[in-house]
Amino acid sequence: MSTTSAPPSTAVTPPYPAADPLWYKDAVIYELHPRAFNDSNGDGIGDFPGLLQKLDYVQDLGVTAVWLLPFYPSPLKDGGYDISDYTGINPSYGTLNDFRELLEQAHRRNLRVITELVINHTSDQHPWFQEARSSRDNPRRNWYVWSDTDDRYRGVRIIFKDTELSNWSWDPISKSYYWHRFFGHQPDLNFDNPEVREEMWKVMQFWAEMGVDGFRVDAVPYLVEREGTSCENLPETHEVVKFLRRRLDEKYPTRFLLAEANQWPADVRPYFGDGDEFHMAFHFPLMPRMFMAVKLEDRKPIIDILQQTPDIPENCQWGIFLRNHDELTLEMVSDEERDYMYDMYALDSGARLNLGIRRRLAPLMENDRRRLELMNGMLMSLPGSPVLYYGDEIGMGDNIFLGDRNGVRTPMQWSGGWNAGFSVADPERLYLPLLSNPVYGYQTVNVEAQRRSDHSLLSWMKRLIRVRKSSRAFSRGRIEFLQPRNHRVFAYIRETGNERVLVVNNLSRAAQAVELDLRTFEGYIPVEMFGGNPFPRIGRLPYLLTLGPYHFYWFRLRRL
Amino acid sequence: MAEESFLSDDFVSQLTAVGEVDILVGLPTLNNRDTVQRVVNAIIVGLVKYYPRERCALINPDGGSKDGTTEAVQAASIPDFRAVLASNPLRTMHVVSAQYPGVRGQNEALRMLFAAADLLGAKACALFSPDLESLTPEWLDAMVRPVLKDGHDFVAPVYQRRRFDGLLVKNVLHPLIRAAYGYQVEEPVGREAAFSGRLAAYFLGDESRREDFPGLGAHVWMTTAAMAGGFRVCQAFLGPRVAASKRSALDLNTTIQEIGGSLFRCMEIQQAYWTSRQGCEQVPTFGFQPVLDLDPLRIDRRRMYQMFRTGVDQLESVLEKILSPATLQAIGEISKAEERHFRFPDDLWAKTIYEFASSYHHSAINRDHLLQALTPLYRGRVSSFILENAGAEAEEVERKLDLLRQDYERLKPYLVEAWNRQT
Amino acid sequence: MNELVVRNLREALTAVSQIVAQALPRVLAMVIIIAVGWLIAWIVEVILRRLLLLARFNRLFESKGVTRALSLAALPSPSEMISRIVFWIVWVSFIMAGVNALGVVALQREVADFVSLLPQFVVAVLIIFIGVLAANFFSRAALLAAVNANSPSPRLVSGFVRFLILLVAIAMALERIGLGYGVVLVAFGFLFGAIMIGLAIAFGLGGRHIARRILERRFAAGNRDRREEKDDEGSHL
Repeated sequence: MSTTSAPPSTAVTPPYPAADPLWYKDAVIYELHPRAFNDSNGDGIGDFPGLLQKLDYVQDLGVTAVWLLPFYPSPLKDGGYDISDYTGINPSYGTLNDFRELLEQAHRRNLRVITELVINHTSDQHPWFQEARSSRDNPRRNWYVWSDTDDRYRGVRIIFKDTELSNWSWDPISKSYYWHRFFGHQPDLNFDNPEVREEMWKVMQFWAEMGVDGFRVDAVPYLVEREGTSCENLPETHEVVKFLRRRLDEKYPTRFLLAEANQWPADVRPYFGDGDEFHMAFHFPLMPRMFMAVKLEDRKPIIDILQQTPDIPENCQWGIFLRNHDELTLEMVSDEERDYMYDMYALDSGARLNLGIRRRLAPLMENDRRRLELMNGMLMSLPGSPVLYYGDEIGMGDNIFLGDRNGVRTPMQWSGGWNAGFSVADPERLYLPLLSNPVYGYQTVNVEAQRRSDHSLLSWMKRLIRVRKSSRAFSRGRIEFLQPRNHRVFAYIRETGNERVLVVNNLSRAAQAVELDLRTFEGYIPVEMFGGNPFPRIGRLPYLLTLGPYHFYWFRLRRL
Repeated sequence: MAEESFLSDDFVSQLTAVGEVDILVGLPTLNNRDTVQRVVNAIIVGLVKYYPRERCALINPDGGSKDGTTEAVQAASIPDFRAVLASNPLRTMHVVSAQYPGVRGQNEALRMLFAAADLLGAKACALFSPDLESLTPEWLDAMVRPVLKDGHDFVAPVYQRRRFDGLLVKNVLHPLIRAAYGYQVEEPVGREAAFSGRLAAYFLGDESRREDFPGLGAHVWMTTAAMAGGFRVCQAFLGPRVAASKRSALDLNTTIQEIGGSLFRCMEIQQAYWTSRQGCEQVPTFGFQPVLDLDPLRIDRRRMYQMFRTGVDQLESVLEKILSPATLQAIGEISKAEERHFRFPDDLWAKTIYEFASSYHHSAINRDHLLQALTPLYRGRVSSFILENAGAEAEEVERKLDLLRQDYERLKPYLVEAWNRQT
Repeated sequence: MNELVVRNLREALTAVSQIVAQALPRVLAMVIIIAVGWLIAWIVEVILRRLLLLARFNRLFESKGVTRALSLAALPSPSEMISRIVFWIVWVSFIMAGVNALGVVALQREVADFVSLLPQFVVAVLIIFIGVLAANFFSRAALLAAVNANSPSPRLVSGFVRFLILLVAIAMALERIGLGYGVVLVAFGFLFGAIMIGLAIAFGLGGRHIARRILERRFAAGNRDRREEKDDEGSHL
């Protein structure tokens, strides 16, 4: 398929109530890769029919949206982020019909589906690039960025320093250089070309028409290049985003765009525009600071970064996460902080990758249930829509010896049986080996085992998500930090309308006492949100609380 | 006996907030508004620079300042760490101020510090003066590192001294402590100190802490108690010490009363230890010492000499109750020498100090009087010392001092005998 | 005539010898009583001192600050004091008994008088005793202060202080035993004067630095001597 065909006629319309256009602000997102979730045909690779079978599990977890990692046809040299056909499905995962079925079933369960939109570049196997390189006067020639020399855009940083020497690569066929910000097999599309923009809009239309609820846009800052700049975050890039957003709003008003821009909050802020660019952007610098705060037993890093975070338009939202399919990125921290993180969380240098740590949440927390709970508790109570990475809800481990980031992309562990219930294939055939470690292996850590206990991490996570969803203060409230003298206690008020929630986290491994200045809430009764028990009424004196190790409280503040 | 609670509720609540710490810095203040902010900033920069990962807190016991010292301490802040250290601190820095009753000496301030260190489980504590002008962040590291990284319990400072500076230390305190306690600590009465949490707990529990040591006497007690308690003692080189207040300029007499008196008293408390202590131990000295010969201090030697003569002449009736006849006679003889040829010999000086110490112990006369009677003799010794070293290089002076120390050590049996003599 | 003389002489001799014969045993008895009394008093003292030492009597007072107060007044330790006082009480009682044993009526009356006067006398002695001690202490303090302040003729100052205090003490003691009523008045006068002088000296010595600083500020700061003196004071610790 050389150009995008007309949208398929059998479009799935969202069955759920004409939804709140701000639904993404209340979302709890579950990130998964179809390859890793469930295999229905026994070829050792997860697929859409497999995922379909597990949708009840996802629904039961309580999340409201599923973010699917790239599932397009691809040479798979970069985890699927090197796309060779924007409107197809990688045959290993199923067919377009399978995907349509998935969308329908998800929507039936009130689950939104978010897909990947990798627009900055294509695979060098993409027909567009094949055409473009075929001759210098091909009509698709300037869909990509070409140059006769490799000294244009000098001084632009190279992102994959470990593998790439230049942002230009030599194309021996057309005897010229092409521009790529990532791997050499991922040529950048030329967004100065209106045809490219139109083509991308067609791609979005294709999926939106089918029922996709949102797009996570990859590598946003790098869309446009200009001489004499860093070629990042350019005004022209914002123009591209605004263009796509305008088209989307006109035709599909309840769909949303999520930006991946690993930048400081102040640099990410422009991508929200005046509410006319992205609906949501990931808050990258917050994540390592949550890990840091727990290790330092000091709330300072989190408060510092959140205070540096500018306000965003009313219709926008941050996306926050603890772990994802990439390494725990340490780009947005100082050298000291990075050293500290490495020393504390990745003493084994095998756990380090690029500027980050390739581990899952549970091993990072040394499988300490209390710390896992605290981290998830903060994730669910800080401002933003939380993103859960598949497997972290049961405390899955990782395998840093699988190379690249594959260690955190191993098959989901459903049961203690054959291939962890993931696939009926021979174990050797799996796309990645299962974890067999006695602590984190599937015999120990699996959904089936945890579903049987009300006290398992899985059951606890379900409860946490349920409680999180019970108050809009978490998803839409503004945050106000309390500054008790005890810096090991991280406390804040989330407040929207007449809903008020008090969150008190003990970042320390030891019990702590804290006196909170709650005079502005004098007369309110704090009701603990997990058990529903009322606590003593707030008076004029400092409100004394004691917290066990890594313990946290969520209180609904009620005026009764 | 029920134990008293001496920490104020507010202080305890602030300590609760600080929680467990690795490094605790004590900064006792009393009307130091003008200088204290710089000191606080230097300490904080030192902590952030050298101990970014450790949990640190600064405790500021205040003796009731009327000039807004505690407010200044609380207001001290580094507006932009990046500009100073090219990085930001990882952790929250706690600065706790609390009032203590009474303004006599540092006893109460130290007690609060010990209690805080004990309560917060500090691994290392450092003590700094609020009027230090030459304090740099490096000082903090120099003092804390031996405790934190090398397991020492007590760190005495080593200052870069001008020639003829600190003569009481050089002629009395250092050699006496070295001979009696068996540790070669250059500055036994340093205004700065660092100690381990273990030692802080020991200090807090030690009965002798309740003694009311005047002025800097508490520092003498800390040093000697650490030695007598069998703790690991070392010293750290800091650099020249410049302080805003010239407290020592007040009165030589008061200095001798406070410091000499405290040392004699400590010897009495710790006599079981030092009378049986054999030999002398070199303690490790951390830090890099540049070779720097600072200008000698100007001292009016003639006046000192003259006051010595008057003293010996006029105080005979007092001195004969303190000194042995032989010593007294020897002193009488040297005092008759012409000024140019005047010498107060090392061994005679050591004997004099030893006899004063033991007479203090035996309460031969009122102890305050006894210490006052030491002053004129000390003036004589200083006068002789300066005369002897007038043209000498720093190394030469050091060599002569070494001879003095050896005399002290050689005569220690004399001290022990005089000390134990029944009256 | 001769006979008369001889007879008278003989009678006298007989009388004297009778008196002597009568008195001698009594005198002897007195001497023995006094001597034995001294011995007993000494033994009592020694035993008492040992006992007090064993009982760590001084320790008892140490905590209450008595020892420190005594040493401040240049007095011996409490156990020493008590054993010495007991010695004197015992011995004086023996001396009294001895004198009584003489049987001389006049003396007996004197002793009776003395005994009735004794309390006053003891008080007077005590006053003198304390006076001497105080004189010692304060004169020494003055001497040391004067020497360390480099003031002229320290011994004169010290002697003057001693003289004043003794004078006051003696006057008070005399008044105690009823000698001279007006003495009290004079004593008070002296006492007052002594206190004032003491205060003046104390203030002068204690405040001399302040005074010097004031003077320095008043007169040009370029005074070389003064500056050197300052140097002299600033370099010891």
